Amino acid sequence: MLGAIGVSDINNLFTDIPAGFHIEPGSLDLPDALSEAAIVRKFTCASEQNRHAGSTSCFLGGGTYHHFIPAIVDYVISRGEFLTAYTPYQPEISQGTLQVLFEFQTMAARLLEMDISNASMYDAATSVAEAALMAKRVTRRARTVIAGSVNPRYRTVTRNYLLHLEGDTVELPSENFTTDIEAIVAAITPETASVIVQYPDFYGTVYDLADIRKKCDETGTLMVVAFSDATAFGLIRAPGSFGADIVVGSGQSLGIPMGFGGPHLGIFTCTQKLLRQMPGRVCGLTQDANGKRGFVLTLSTREQHIRREKATSNICSNQGLMCTAAATYMALMGDAGLKRVAENSAAALKMLVDGLPENVTAAGGAHYNETVLSFTDQTTRDGFLTRAEAAGIFAGIPLEKLEKDIEPKHLLVAATEMIETDDVTRYLELLGGAQ
Amino acid sequence: MSSSPVKSIYQGGSHGLMHEEPLLFEHAHEAAESINLPGVAGDISAGLKAFARVTGPGIPGLSEPETVRHFVRLSQWNHNIETGFYPLGSCTMKYNPRVNEQVVRLPGLANIHPDQPESTVQGALALLHELQEWLSEITGLPCCTLQPAAGAHGEWTGLMLIRAALEARGEGHRTRVLVPDSAHGTNPASAALCGMSTVEIKSTPEGRVDLDELKANLDGNVAALMLTNPNTTGMFESDIAEICKLVHEAGGFVYGDGANLNALVGKAKPGDMGIDCLHINVHKTFSTPHGGGGPGGGPVVVCEALAPFLPTPRIGKMENGYAIISEDENSIGPILGSIGQVGVLLRAAAYIAAFGRNHLHRIAEDAVLNANYVLSRLKDAYDVPFKGICKHECLLTDEIQNRHGVKTLDIAKRLIDLGFHPMTVYFPLIVHGAMLIEPTESESKETIDAFCDAMLQIAEDCEKGETEALHAAPLLPIRTRLDETAAARNPVLVWPEEK
Repeated sequence: MLGAIGVSDINNLFTDIPAGFHIEPGSLDLPDALSEAAIVRKFTCASEQNRHAGSTSCFLGGGTYHHFIPAIVDYVISRGEFLTAYTPYQPEISQGTLQVLFEFQTMAARLLEMDISNASMYDAATSVAEAALMAKRVTRRARTVIAGSVNPRYRTVTRNYLLHLEGDTVELPSENFTTDIEAIVAAITPETASVIVQYPDFYGTVYDLADIRKKCDETGTLMVVAFSDATAFGLIRAPGSFGADIVVGSGQSLGIPMGFGGPHLGIFTCTQKLLRQMPGRVCGLTQDANGKRGFVLTLSTREQHIRREKATSNICSNQGLMCTAAATYMALMGDAGLKRVAENSAAALKMLVDGLPENVTAAGGAHYNETVLSFTDQTTRDGFLTRAEAAGIFAGIPLEKLEKDIEPKHLLVAATEMIETDDVTRYLELLGGAQ
Repeated sequence: MSSSPVKSIYQGGSHGLMHEEPLLFEHAHEAAESINLPGVAGDISAGLKAFARVTGPGIPGLSEPETVRHFVRLSQWNHNIETGFYPLGSCTMKYNPRVNEQVVRLPGLANIHPDQPESTVQGALALLHELQEWLSEITGLPCCTLQPAAGAHGEWTGLMLIRAALEARGEGHRTRVLVPDSAHGTNPASAALCGMSTVEIKSTPEGRVDLDELKANLDGNVAALMLTNPNTTGMFESDIAEICKLVHEAGGFVYGDGANLNALVGKAKPGDMGIDCLHINVHKTFSTPHGGGGPGGGPVVVCEALAPFLPTPRIGKMENGYAIISEDENSIGPILGSIGQVGVLLRAAAYIAAFGRNHLHRIAEDAVLNANYVLSRLKDAYDVPFKGICKHECLLTDEIQNRHGVKTLDIAKRLIDLGFHPMTVYFPLIVHGAMLIEPTESESKETIDAFCDAMLQIAEDCEKGETEALHAAPLLPIRTRLDETAAARNPVLVWPEEK
């Protein structure tokens, strides 16, 4: 091949790089190449240093949940045809990915009772941020109002996305682990581009969004509803049923492993009239030269590779394969399966809350599968956490880990259908020991 | 359900059944749930019942065999790296080693919660911390964040860091970003998202940054130059030292778009050249699968001056183990809801481990060899706008074929009928009818020769005036040319619900 090119040495192909910048092959400070067997061994050893949810009871939530993943989900996304395909810019040879994206968009929209969906964002936090940006474009208004009961990680990422853009961000405080609807309504003004709430909120509380919708109608503000655990909407009213304009959140619960934080799936849905201001890729229906139905990536004039600095978002690579996972999961579950997942998750939480000893209190209000447990003091809570961990239970997330300024005596606790009756019983037994 | 006749996708390739497959929503389906689920089969709270959904979402549940067949049939309509070549310029579609898939599925890596106690995730943190160090060593930039979820996310993160550093030194007024006209569209889009304005820097007739144009635009308002090197014409910016020096003297930073790192890995370090900040597309250079459009990963490596501002949470090595550091007053804070796309990052770590100190440079050498070989075979039949050796990709145009009424799009679609995914088309924007070809190092000479033969056949057909097949292509895939205009004019993004 060198001969065909007309050079004698591979380094002749690197002469355009100034000599001073060449590094000696083999001079990098890296370990020597590992064989495949050695790689497997290295990663297996690392894996075994960790404790995982497969052999423990996992009551951790806060945006990432240990739901059941049917075997076929990983099978489908392991197939090279989905796994190793490029972005479907050549639609004739990408109809598989494109039809799956179209099916994903349809199911995401139906689950949330929204008109349309895009083909994913990175995660829930960046989806919330993109929703705030979109609302500013649509309304040409400067102010973003964020409820204090929105996941703190979504709030900080959104604040960062808005940091250098015109306008201000009003973050409302939250008290008593619930959503303060009155305070939110009071904060919405005719200058507000969007109000961002979470439903169920960060503490798992389910509440009526009607008053917020009403105020948004009066002020022309877009109502953005975030969510953390998409399984909720197999059972409870979807955000769209309250008239949300944009609904964004995490699709991780829909067949995607917790994976220490990613890759997860950001879901972005909105009303039909906001279509042309949506960020990210979208897949649309069309037909081919023979009149056969087919699918293409569409509305690309919103995107960075066409519009450059005027694009609706800078997003390019998104979470295509995670859409495939979520589509496979939802197709297998159907309405009935999704409802059962949600019922079992909610039932496990109810069983836990109903069995709490007197010195541990759960947050008030209606909860889906997550709540806050409050202990008398940090010592009691941490003692319980230690005993639970020794017994193979991840009992909850110390709330101060996510909400900096809060007294360190609370636990954010989530339940899923992976929590069995015995798990709850053991949890409560260990809690009883705290008395 | 209609069944289609047997078709072959590739001329001369293997034949098999290709099935039409309806949408999920068009399948006849039973309402009953098809899967036995675990969990507490108890009552839900009265408070929650008040919020019960009245009608179901309308998601059809298929049986397990039906679900598998649906998605497997759809999968067979996809081109992918395991069935064929992807000469996509600036996309680095190399083979994705299967062992990487195996190791990221180990339960202690896949099934861990991001908020588990640190003592229970030391193995994962050790791998990620090691990856940070490897990426710094490979690029010559001492500090690293793994958090950005993709290349564009990395660009925005890098610009956020640059703004923070400028503000810290009292130069917050510097908000102008210089972007060469050959840059990826994400560069100006990321700058806009960071509240910065962009100025386009024209390329020279040789396809490189015009130093005079650069000098003319460097002033006290410039925050950064965003540079892809090698650039998207496949040429190395040989004036890189001078370019960086000029930007630094003007008080700005040099941002490196690492999309084309595959040409340099193990051969030269961007940090040595004066780049201050670089994102790495691990789904390109370090072979994490593209997944039909993601997930990707865009770790950012930076010089010391930008290091204090790196996002939190960060992975640190302490005396008694690894820790996730969430608090740092100088940090720009989180830019993603987690420490990163961990599963993607671990695949990249496994890939780097397989090459190691002694073989990493072979990636760039073989990638550059293959690209120059393609160039040498096609340079007489196709117009080459910028002469000289290329790096990991080569740029052609349709100028010669235009004389026969054939455009880049026709060539691209004809390649499909000849058994190849098209190259990147109409990018970069600075030449008319661009065809950007990146063979990557993982393709054999046999495959590359077959691709070049197909390209030469197309060129010859044009010369002979036999262009009918070019305009009609593709004819062999399950769908022929799709009407993108109609899709955009009347967008249908979801399947209507049956009432």
